[in-house]
Amino acid sequence: MDLKTLVARAKRGLREELRLYLVAVSSLSVAFLCVGGALLAVSNLDQMAARWGQSGRISVYLRDSVAAADVRQLRTVLEGLPEVAQVEELSSEDARALFLEQADVSADLGRLPVEVFPASLEVSLRAGTPVQRIDAIGERLARLRAVEDVETYRGWFGRLDALIGAGRTVAGLLTLLVGLCVLAVIGNTIRLAVARRREEIEVMKLCGATDGFVRGPFVLEGMFQGFASALVAVVVLFFAYLALRGHVDSSIASLTGMRTVFLRPWALVSLVVGGAIVGALGSALSLRRYLAV
Amino acid sequence: MPSDDDKVVRPFPFFRAGAQSSGVSRPILVFEDVYKYFRRDRPTLRGVNLTIERGEFAFVTGPSGAGKSTLLQLVYRKHTVDGGRILFCGRDIARLKERSIPFLRRNLGIVFQDFKIVKHWTVFENVAVALEILSMPKRLVRSRVAEALERVGLAGRGEDRTEALSGGEQQRVAVARAIVTEPALILADEPTGNLDPHLAIDILTLFEEINATGTTVLFATHDHSLISKRDHRIIGIDDGRVVEARTGLRSWADAVGPEGGRGTSGSSGLHVVAG
Ligand SMILES: Nc1ncnc2c1ncn2[C@@H]1O[C@H](COP(=O)(O)OP(=O)(O)OP(=O)(O)O)[C@@H](O)[C@H]1O
Ligand SMILES: [Mg+2]
Repeated sequence: MDLKTLVARAKRGLREELRLYLVAVSSLSVAFLCVGGALLAVSNLDQMAARWGQSGRISVYLRDSVAAADVRQLRTVLEGLPEVAQVEELSSEDARALFLEQADVSADLGRLPVEVFPASLEVSLRAGTPVQRIDAIGERLARLRAVEDVETYRGWFGRLDALIGAGRTVAGLLTLLVGLCVLAVIGNTIRLAVARRREEIEVMKLCGATDGFVRGPFVLEGMFQGFASALVAVVVLFFAYLALRGHVDSSIASLTGMRTVFLRPWALVSLVVGGAIVGALGSALSLRRYLAV
Repeated sequence: MPSDDDKVVRPFPFFRAGAQSSGVSRPILVFEDVYKYFRRDRPTLRGVNLTIERGEFAFVTGPSGAGKSTLLQLVYRKHTVDGGRILFCGRDIARLKERSIPFLRRNLGIVFQDFKIVKHWTVFENVAVALEILSMPKRLVRSRVAEALERVGLAGRGEDRTEALSGGEQQRVAVARAIVTEPALILADEPTGNLDPHLAIDILTLFEEINATGTTVLFATHDHSLISKRDHRIIGIDDGRVVEARTGLRSWADAVGPEGGRGTSGSSGLHVVAG
């Protein structure tokens, strides 16, 4: 069978079963929207992790009694390390001012004594410094006399990693679930379409149509439904993203110092192509079961 | 249009070739001791022996439930024989693999009592489907369909919706679909069963015109008035056995008598030449 005939017959099928297929596409769009949403969340978390991971930081809290010369020496040593990009000295007053500014709190806290905020050296590490190396530097710093405490923010990274891991798992499960759901819905839709077109299927078989000739258009119709559902979901997701982005960027994003991102092109393409493939598969499986002609 | 026909690739041309190329006229269809059991205890066909020559027109007749439809269904492999064999152009169709059945059917034209046309398609689409299955180019499909519609007296009706046609016209669409591929053999299972008597004669005449161009026709009917009006070979089926008779204007009762005469000629010459 040539492609033109196949496409023409599939188009006629789509036209004739428009109502049936519209119902299928609209419910499947919701399913795809869930997958798209989960992927969007995961990719934003990923982005966050990448940003933080890239700009590794160590806060070195200094003892109150430490002499200025010791601090200078420590600073020189730190600046000599190849992993260190920049070292910034933060006095108690600076720390207090920064805290009050960021915390946006009432005057009560403003009366906190300066001693509550230890002076520190804020060390920015070069991008791509391995975690083990950060740990090693932290440990060595902690042993120094002048140092009260060292914060490598590893706990934060750990928690974020766990969150991303969980997000990935959820997205994976959701994708699987939605895949099965698409298989079932499209399979069922095609089964109905086959039942409605019994007559023409019989005619074609009597005229010597091969199974491929009979099934081809149905597979194409299933594929189109999967494709259309995924596409609708992607478009809806994009507009939802545009509408909510300003909101999110001004709250969460300003705290973390990053901007939200939409799904990458490859993710969009795989969602739509995946939808088409699963649609074709659902149709083909259904035909195997219900088209015993 | 023989030049056009050459362009149509038939995956299994041997169904049409065979006898014609060898020069010796091999029978188009042979039943050799054919048995068909739908129920273990009672065969529907028991030991059917039958030879249909190329270009023949034969009635298949007999009481209801005798096995007329079954006989035709075995030829287009709706069912398989349980004993004996059926040779179509010298090939045993019982031994065809499942995936070869479509190619057998492309060499047959089948017409039914209930027309089996797609009501919501146009007349053109209903006829064209047989050619689309053969992957024939669009231009060729158009000209061949127009030709077939003209032969069945529906010239210019291609764009009509089929459900808007009368019963007789619908059956003509089915006949057009059966002949548009120019098959070697036409199987008609009570094609006039749903039609008024005068329409039945029209359709019969149409089949005779098709037969006059060299196509073999097996015409199953239990309508005695139809049979008695013509001088074709009669293959009587009774209780799963063949009782042959060649008849002119004799009644059915005479026709089922034990007479071995086997029809050899094609159309009886009564009919209009196709145009
Ligand atoms: N698919 C089937 N399954 C079981 N039995 C069948 C099947 N097809 C036909 N039969 C039986 O075979 C016998 C012959 O049926 P067939 O349809 O060939 O008769 P017929 O001569 O065409 O009758 P009619 O003139 O009523 O069309 C009947 O007894 C019928 O019940
Ligand atoms: Mg019958």
